[in-house]
Parts: sequence; structure tokens; C-alpha cells
Amino acid sequence: MKALLLAVLAAYFVAAIHSILAFVNKRRSLQRVSDLSLATGFVLHTTALIADWVIDRRYPLLSLRETLSFLAWTVVAAYAVVLYRYGAHALGVIALPLVSLLTFVSIFIRTGPAIAIEQISGASARWLFPMHTTLLTFAYAAFFVVFVSSVMYLLQERELKLKTFSAIFHRLPSLTTVNDIATTAATIGLTLLTLGIATGMLWSASRDGRLWHNDPKEVFALLTWLLYLGLLVYRSTARWRGRRAAWLGVVGFVLVVCTFLGPRLMSSYHAFG
Amino acid sequence: MSIVLIGVNHKTAPLAVRELLAFSESAMGEGLRALVDGDVVREGLIVSTCNRVEVLSATANDQLQTGIERIKDFLSHSRTVARESFAAHLYQHVDDQAVRHLFRVASSLDSMVVGEPQVLGQVRRAYSQALEAGTAGRVLNRLIHHTFHVAKRVRAETGIAASAVSISYMAVELGKKIFRSLEGCSVLLIGAGEMAELSARHLMNAGVARVVVTNRTPESAHRLATEFGGEAVSFDALAEHLAEADIVICSTGAEGYVVSRAMAEAALGRRRNRPAFFIDISVPRNVDPSIGTLPNLFVFDIDDLESVISSNIREREHEAERAELIVDSEVMQFQQALRALDIGPTLGALRQKLQDIARSELDKQRSRLGQLTPEQEKAVEALLMGTVNKISHPVLNHVRRSAGDDQSIQAWREIFGLEGERQGVTEVADELGDK
Repeated sequence: MKALLLAVLAAYFVAAIHSILAFVNKRRSLQRVSDLSLATGFVLHTTALIADWVIDRRYPLLSLRETLSFLAWTVVAAYAVVLYRYGAHALGVIALPLVSLLTFVSIFIRTGPAIAIEQISGASARWLFPMHTTLLTFAYAAFFVVFVSSVMYLLQERELKLKTFSAIFHRLPSLTTVNDIATTAATIGLTLLTLGIATGMLWSASRDGRLWHNDPKEVFALLTWLLYLGLLVYRSTARWRGRRAAWLGVVGFVLVVCTFLGPRLMSSYHAFG
Repeated sequence: MSIVLIGVNHKTAPLAVRELLAFSESAMGEGLRALVDGDVVREGLIVSTCNRVEVLSATANDQLQTGIERIKDFLSHSRTVARESFAAHLYQHVDDQAVRHLFRVASSLDSMVVGEPQVLGQVRRAYSQALEAGTAGRVLNRLIHHTFHVAKRVRAETGIAASAVSISYMAVELGKKIFRSLEGCSVLLIGAGEMAELSARHLMNAGVARVVVTNRTPESAHRLATEFGGEAVSFDALAEHLAEADIVICSTGAEGYVVSRAMAEAALGRRRNRPAFFIDISVPRNVDPSIGTLPNLFVFDIDDLESVISSNIREREHEAERAELIVDSEVMQFQQALRALDIGPTLGALRQKLQDIARSELDKQRSRLGQLTPEQEKAVEALLMGTVNKISHPVLNHVRRSAGDDQSIQAWREIFGLEGERQGVTEVADELGDK
């Protein structure tokens, strides 16, 4: 299994390097190498995840190691969707190094003792827990896309206002494109987040009869949810909100990172693995 | 065949010389036919633009010098200019150097404004004229197609043509940067002026859906509108039309602001915050610069445009260095492709193959012949080889005639099963004097 994951890491790494080189040199051939390598890595990674599931007979999304690995997988999936829909290769310059890093950490991190799902979920509503974690991981990937496209928006908007264009300016997708990506990704992300929180609450209710624990992670998640809801409402009141919406996309992601990492630092009900 | 390129360009010759040598559209066919003599200068093509006159030719290998002289004479005769009047300005390149020069010209690395897109079209035109005149043969066909490939690659992989270097083109570039595609965008033209018209024309070519023209004098608004297939609106209704415009190009002779901040704010509200940009090429300025501080609105005045353009020119020069590397590697690739066109190895391999067959048949029957004297041995050998050579002679001649034609060479190789016998045959070919 480790060999397979190392192959995945190598493929992602090659994809990341070529994506950066293609961005700098504007070489289509390098971009093709990146895409192919990424596709290879993604297929191998999918295989590894499924194998994990089949061999261990439990859903592979529990320990920190598994979560990071799955998170990397969802970011690749999100990037693939953006490529297919918008052809925005520039996203890969940030997404693929992150994917490589996540995969790297997931392989080499020290793992605690394996936790059986029964330990956490008890017997009731067993399927709700994996639903909860899967939905939220996908939501994180979507918010990452919002973040990166918001940053690309802000960079370009700033240069357009200052009327001085750097080399990066010519390599980024247009304002309309990054705005569309951010809006779409935020909508998808918020939907997933809502469903993720809902399944979490249901599961919690079925386990110990409480919907809400006032746990740090839950508080952060609620804040995140409110922020993205605000972002989408703000965007929809006038179709295009530009810079301020982009800033919300950046701040939102900071909250997402806090939601993800924070509870591990403050000991929390949600800290596993 | 050698590739020879002789010519003048804006760097080596003043306009007075270039215009003497220029070929008009109508003189081209006749000129091309006079250039190619079928013996020394076998193929020819002439690129004649305001910045350059270049004669490209495929010339017999062994008569390179004669070829070069003939091309110079041709220029002198066909343009009726004395050789002395232009000889000092001529450059001449052979083979690799000629190929490199052509690649650089077509990729717009040799242009006055590096990266300008017209020159590729001019090379394309020169090629189709040569095709019409029947003076482009196998070598030039191959070379020109490779040239188009290089020019495309340079455009795609470097930024030499990425950024606008003229004011009229900035509108298109900014539009693409802000709106992804100009299709569906609408343009408002306030006032008229050469630059504004040119910008509007570029925008139309880039796919803008709608052009609205307004002017203090309705007649000139109407004239422009009919020219662009757009609509003319009254100058008093400017504020209303501002809300519908994604791109506003302003160039009037007015003193003071024609588009005020209040007008822009109102328009932005009605546009539901969709972005828009203003290009103000009037002096004094007609668009309030403080509009640029409003969200989603961008204002560029003439100074902003100039400074962006000068930084774009620097960027292009930087990108041109990377383009040169692409050209270098493509010159090498073309050399290899050209070598594959060479017929020598195929001829050698074919001859060798037939002789090998004859020898192996002789070896099989040898035991039946019994002991032969050296003379008899020689006679049998001569008999066999003589027969093989007599029979293969017309075939070899035929193969020789397909020199330069990749597909038929390939066909010959397949017919005689010559694949996998490439190694070693070159020496044979040299030995047989087929080079």
C-alpha cells in the first residue's frame, strides 16, 4: 500500500512541477505532461483509497493520515472539474503543490493506533458518520477553489486599478472567469457544508441525543457556514460584487483552515486520530 | 539541394533601396517564373513587404555559387536596377542560416515591432503566389510548412504577441482580460477620432456584439455607425447608454468631463455592478479619473495606455529571447527532416539488397556447380551482378526521381522491404557515388 501511495505522491509531484513550469514558460507541452501525470496519480490514488476500504473493511476517512489523503484526492477532483469547465490551468500552480504536500504528510505522518469506527459511531446510524466526513471534505476542496480564484481576482483587479501589469497578470484567467469559478465553487461548497453539518447533527442526535456540543469545531463550522451564506447572498443581491466578495472568499478560507486544524490544537470532541 | 535566402530588410537597407527591389502583386508571377530556371535555381519564393524583399530558393548543391549569382542577377534584371545600387545592402544565407532567418521572419522576431502578427500572413501570401506560379517544389513546400509550425509554436509558447503594443489594440487586450471573451460585449464610442475608430474596428474583429456611437454632431455619429453596422444615438442620451456599455471609448474635443463620476455611479448601479472599462484618448481628459476608484470600473487615460505599452514592449523583447531558443531547436529538427528527404541511403540500400539476394542464391546453388576456377568464379559473379544491375537500373532511376518526396521514398522502402536496414547503408551509398 505504501508503495502505491509513493507512486501517487511521485505523480502529483511531477504534475505540480510541470504545472508551475508551464505557467512560467507558457508551454502547452509541459501542461500536457502535468495533466497526464495528474490523471495517473488520481487513478492510482483512487485505487489506493478503494483498496484501503476493502482491505480494512472500514471507511478510509478517520485518522488524520486518511483525512489528509482523502482531502488531497478531493482537491485533485475539484481542480479537474475547474479544468474541464473553465480550462483555468493557473489554479494548478497553487492546487497541485498543496496536493503534493497533503499526500506527502499523509504518507509520512506518524499514525496513532487505528480507531475502529464502532468506537466513535456506536451501532446506530453507522452510515451517517462517513457521509458527514465525506461531504465536509468535498466542501473544503470547494472552498479552496473559492480561495484561489479569489486571490487571482484580487491580484488582477489590483493591477488593473494601478494600471501596471506584471508578468503574472498575462498568465491568469480573465476577471470574469475567476469570478465565475469563485461563485460556482462557493455555491457548491455551501451546499456540501450544509449537508455535512446536517448529517453530523443527525448522527450526533442518534448517538447521544444531542444535536450540538458547543465544540470548537462546531463553532468554527457555524461561523464558516454563516460567512459563505453571507458571501452568496451578497453576490446575488447584485450579480457581480468583485473585490469585496473576493476578500470574503479569502477570509472564509482562513475560517475553513481554522475549522479543520483548530480543534486538533485545542483538545476537542472532534479530534480524532 | 541547398536552401538559399538573399534579400534586404528594414535593418540593412533604407526605404529608397527596398522600394527599388519590391515586387508588386501583379509582377510576382512573372518574377517567380524568371527566378526559377529548373537547372540551378530549382525552386523559388519571394517575400515582398514594405519592410523586406527576400528571395528564398532551393538551389542545386554543386552549383551553389552560380545559384547565388543568378539570384542577384535576377533581382537586378527583373527590377531593372544596377547590381551596385543594392549589392551593399544584401544579406545572403545558406542552408541552416537561411532556414533560421526564415523562421525568425515568420515568427516576427525580425520585424520592426517584434511580435506583430501581419508578417506571417505575408509569408503565407508569398507561398500561395509561389504555388500559383508553380515555383514551390518539394523542398520549399517542406520548409514553408515547417515555418508555419514554428511561427505557431512561437506565438503559443512565448508572450511575444501576447500584450498589446498599440493604443488601438489595448482595448481588445483589456476587454479579454476583464470579460474573458468579447463576444456579447457592447461598445460605446463617444466622439470620433482616428484612434477611437481603429480601436472600435479591432474590437469588432475580436467579436464584439454591438457598437453604439454618439457624437455632438449627429451626422458624424451616423456616418460611423453605418460604417460599423452599429447604431447612432443622441449625445443627450449618453447617460442612459452608459449603463449598457461594457467598453467605453471616449475621444472628443470637449473641454472638461463628458463622463462624470455621478453618471458612472448611476450606470454602475443599473449594470448591477458588472464591470466596465473606459478608454479615454482625449486631451484634455473627457472621463473623470476618479471613476477609477469606483468598484468594478476601470479607467485608462492616454498616459496609462502609453506606460502599459512601453512595459509591454519590454516584455516582448524579453519573450523574444525565449522565442530564439525555440527557433534554434526547430532549425535542428528541420535539418533532420530534410536529411530524411535525401534519397542516397535508400538507393544504396536497394542496390545492396538486390545484390545480396543474387549472392545468397548463388551460395545455395554453389554445391551443384562443383569446383570453379577463379575465372569461372568471376564470370558467374559478373553474370549475376550484370543481370541484377541491368534489371534494377530503370527501377533505381525511378527511385532517384522521387527524391524529396517522403511518401514515395517510404513506398519504395516498403516495396523492397528495406526497413531496419538503415544502418550502414549510408556508407554504401557514398561509395556508390549516389550522394
